[in-house]
Amino acid sequence: MTLGTPHLSVVVPLYNEADNVAPLVDAVTEALTGSTSWELILVDDGSTDQTVATADVIAARDDRVRLIRLARNYGQTTAMQAGFDHARGNVVVSMDGDLQNDPRDIPSLTAKLEEGYDLVAGYRKSRKDKLITRKIPSWIANRLIQRITKVKIRDNGCSLKAYRIELLRSIHIYSDMHRFIPAVAAATAGARIAEVPVRHHARRYGTSKYGLSRILKVLGDLLTIKMIRSFRDRPLAMMAVGSLVAAVFALALGAATIVASVGFVPQKANAVVFPGAAMLWLGLTGYLLMLGLVAEVALWEHRRDGGEQLPLVHEEDA
Amino acid sequence: MTEPIKVHRSEDISTHPLNPDVSVIVPITERPEDLVELYQEYSEPLAESGRSFEFVFVAEPWGRRLTEPLLDIAAQGQPIRVFQVGQTMGEAALLRLAAAHCHAPVVVTLPAYRRIQASALGELLRGLHDGVDVVTARRWPRHDAWFNRLQGWVFHGLLGSFTRPRLRDVACGVRAIRRDVLLQLPLYGDFFRFLPLLAAREGYVVSELSVPQHERDTSTRLYGPGVYLRRVIDLLGLFFLLRFTEKPLRFFGLLGSLLATVGGGVLAVLLYQRLHGQGIADRPLLLLGVLFLVLGIQAVALGLVGEIIVHLHASGRRGYRLVHHPTSTGSEPEAQSTAWSQRKAP
Repeated sequence: MTLGTPHLSVVVPLYNEADNVAPLVDAVTEALTGSTSWELILVDDGSTDQTVATADVIAARDDRVRLIRLARNYGQTTAMQAGFDHARGNVVVSMDGDLQNDPRDIPSLTAKLEEGYDLVAGYRKSRKDKLITRKIPSWIANRLIQRITKVKIRDNGCSLKAYRIELLRSIHIYSDMHRFIPAVAAATAGARIAEVPVRHHARRYGTSKYGLSRILKVLGDLLTIKMIRSFRDRPLAMMAVGSLVAAVFALALGAATIVASVGFVPQKANAVVFPGAAMLWLGLTGYLLMLGLVAEVALWEHRRDGGEQLPLVHEEDA
Repeated sequence: MTEPIKVHRSEDISTHPLNPDVSVIVPITERPEDLVELYQEYSEPLAESGRSFEFVFVAEPWGRRLTEPLLDIAAQGQPIRVFQVGQTMGEAALLRLAAAHCHAPVVVTLPAYRRIQASALGELLRGLHDGVDVVTARRWPRHDAWFNRLQGWVFHGLLGSFTRPRLRDVACGVRAIRRDVLLQLPLYGDFFRFLPLLAAREGYVVSELSVPQHERDTSTRLYGPGVYLRRVIDLLGLFFLLRFTEKPLRFFGLLGSLLATVGGGVLAVLLYQRLHGQGIADRPLLLLGVLFLVLGIQAVALGLVGEIIVHLHASGRRGYRLVHHPTSTGSEPEAQSTAWSQRKAP
């Protein structure tokens, strides 16, 4: 069918979505009929059901559909990164494999991208999910993410997003970072980000792979990203601040030692507790400084090898 | 660095098959037995099964005395190759070295002492078909000392509590494995023991096969306390590596916040008591509170540095492995080139 490199790559991670594969491919094909050349990359994340068999049949029949199989279940983030690595289009769209996103929204995302953005995120206007276990945690999480990352995205949980390939080539996601691609893109690549409303459907087939336990994970990941973001440019400076605070505690307890030994009725325990605590804080002071130095060494090696990437820029027309 | 490894090869290799079906790797470490007898015993069923094979022996300097008779029978045309490293390198390095130099697509690792009956080798090799990448032998039924079985049972109970697939005899060391798989596994230190688990982590298919134990594998193995300590440390290291290599801050952050919460709680109680007029200068509890808080901060800070290192490496590394597939265009990552250089003995 279409030869050469397609303009648009749609990346869909699949984990045990056998019933959803065929309707998904049909929906994407229908939504993109008449638009530019495209490819659909199905990433099988170590499914144990008929997902691979079903996808295989479709991929063999349709040149535009490609199946990429991970050797085991790595998780959604890694599956998405694998899909991004194999995308050939200039524009990449990611979406969920459970048909809750609607491929008919893809054209509006890519149209927005053409206006000069690096990343366009969809936000679900009317979510078809359970209130207590899905909507409320999501609302709280989005508020937190906005506040901490300073990236104004209403709906981080929505996988339907469009990216310029240059952006994807300059960021790398791992662990459970797929929810924070906008934050990562903004922080490390200086990406321009926009949002458009998208449709949302209730799940038709299969079961949800999320649980309430992910809230804790999200919070942990969020803190990690925040810390990396503020820490990675000058770790020694950040550690020095912590070190200074510890030094203040050490000095305060040192002063308390003197006051206690002069002013109080001398007791044996006085001579141990305050100076002991002072020494612990002093230990932390030195420890944090040394750790900051180690982090500097790691970063220095990375930068010297040319590992630091330039931010994305748009050259303005004269 | 100058070449650390001296390679001594048997001179006459004309009768060796250039591309054998199976390479049998024998790292010579602890308790080696008579190697010529070992070779004869284990090569017999291979020869009978019609497979072409080679035996690759790797020895540290102290093992030279043991390998010399092997060179004699190699000169008579037996498919034996002997590699001698210049320093004591450890079993993992010997395995890596042998894997880099062997010729067959399928490798069997065999300890230099008898663990399983030789006739079981064919069964192990047959298990390698149908998409299975690693077959590890389990000695079953066991007929050695009850003490061996008890310590093995405890060790594998601990191991099985956090690893899948559940293995029941990692100490056996007899494994059939595809060579390209072996070359891609990070084998170092004491982790070669967990080779099947490392392979499973990379998404390779691992199976355990029960094979009859060798009748001479009977000695009671009571080790010094240092050995048991190292096994426990191995388990701890494996637990961390399997779960948290991509997210060290999750491990250290959890540990650190637990410690800091306990420490902070103790200090809060003391502060409350101080505000109500009770002195705290003579309370060792203050020391404990500060200690826990400080330890907690240290753990989090260490996790942060770990996270930075992972973050820096993420751009240059693919964190996944693909299954080769007709309709997929993904390519397998290149086999790791081994860092060893070799030099033929004059």
